[in-house]
Amino acid sequence: MNKTINMVLVMIRTAVIFVVLLIIMRLMGKRQIGEMQPFELVITLLIAELACIPMADASIPLLYGIISVVTIYVLHEIMTLLDLKVKPWKSFISGKPSVVINKNGIDDYQLKRNNLDVSDLIESLRSAGYFSLDCVDYALYEANGTFSALPKQDYEQMQNSLPLVIIDNGKYDEKNLELTGLSRTFFDEILRNRKVQNVKRVLVLTADGNGKLYLQVKGKKFETLQVEYPAHKVW
Amino acid sequence: MVKSLTAIGVAFLLLFGAAMFEWYFVNSQFNAFGEELYTLYQKADDETANGEDAKAVQASWENRKEKLHVWIPHNDISRVDDYMSETVRLIAEKNYGLALSKLEILIHLTKCLPDTYKPALENIF
Repeated sequence: MNKTINMVLVMIRTAVIFVVLLIIMRLMGKRQIGEMQPFELVITLLIAELACIPMADASIPLLYGIISVVTIYVLHEIMTLLDLKVKPWKSFISGKPSVVINKNGIDDYQLKRNNLDVSDLIESLRSAGYFSLDCVDYALYEANGTFSALPKQDYEQMQNSLPLVIIDNGKYDEKNLELTGLSRTFFDEILRNRKVQNVKRVLVLTADGNGKLYLQVKGKKFETLQVEYPAHKVW
Repeated sequence: MVKSLTAIGVAFLLLFGAAMFEWYFVNSQFNAFGEELYTLYQKADDETANGEDAKAVQASWENRKEKLHVWIPHNDISRVDDYMSETVRLIAEKNYGLALSKLEILIHLTKCLPDTYKPALENIF
C-alpha cells in the first residue's frame, strides 16, 4: 500500500515555513515587529497567505488551506503556552527588552543589535513626547518593538526648543545645518575644544534653538553644553 | 492552561484523524482504480478489450475523482483524465499497441501520484 498522507506533508511544510519565518523575524530585530511578539507577526503574515492561495487557485483543494490554518492555530497555542510557562524559551522566541538610553547616554551597541540607528531612536522619542535626548534617564525597546522611556523629573522645562540633529553617526546632516544657519566650522571648533579630533568619532550631536548641545562621542558618556551661537542666533 | 492544552489536544486529534482518513481513503481509491486498470491492461494485451470495457473503467474513475478532488491537487486528477480519455478512444478503435502504452502510464500514475504526497524529505522541500 502506498504511503499517502498528504495532510501530514502540508502540516510539516507549514511548520517548516513557520519556524524559518520566526527565525528571520527574530534576526531582523525590533524595527520589523511593531507591537507584536515575533511569532504573532509570523502567524499574521502566514494566515492571510494560507487562506488566500487555495481560495484563489482552483487547482489546490480548499482542504489544504484549512489544514494549514489549523496547524498554525496549534503552533500558536503551543508557542503561547511555552511563552507563558518556560522563561528561557520566552526570551529565545520573543527576545528581551533592549535598553537603548541609560545614564551614560545612547547605547550604540543595543541600537545596532536591533538594526536601528540614532535617527530611529530620536523619532521614537519624539513619538513618545520627548524631544530632547537628555530629557530621559532610560529608554528601551520592548520585546514586541514598542518604545518606553523614563523621563527626568523636570523634563518639560528642558524641552523649550526643538533640537536638530547636526551630526548623526559621524556624518553632518546638511539639511539641518542649513536650517540652523550655522556652519560646519562652528561645530568643528566645539568638537576640537572637547578634544574630539575626528567628526567620525561622534555618535550624535544635537543643537536646540537656545544654544544647548547634546554631544555623545562613540563609547563615551554623553555631555550637554551651553554655547552661544554666532550673531546671537536663535530658532 | 487547561483550556490551551484542551484546544491543542482537540485540534491535534482532528488533524490526526483527518490525516488517517485521507491516508486510508486516497490509498484505497488509487489501489482499486489501479486494479481496474490492470484488468483492462490484461484484456488489451489479449486484444479482447472493447470500448465498453474501457468506458466502464472511465465511469469508475469519474465516480472516484469526484471524491478525490477534496483530497488531492486537481491538476493531478486532470493528468489521469487525459490519459483515460485517450485510452478509451484507442481501445474503441482497437489500437491495442498504443492503448497499452497509455494504460502503462495510467498504472504508473496510480502508483507514483500517491507517493508525491507522502511526508518524505524530497516532498517537504
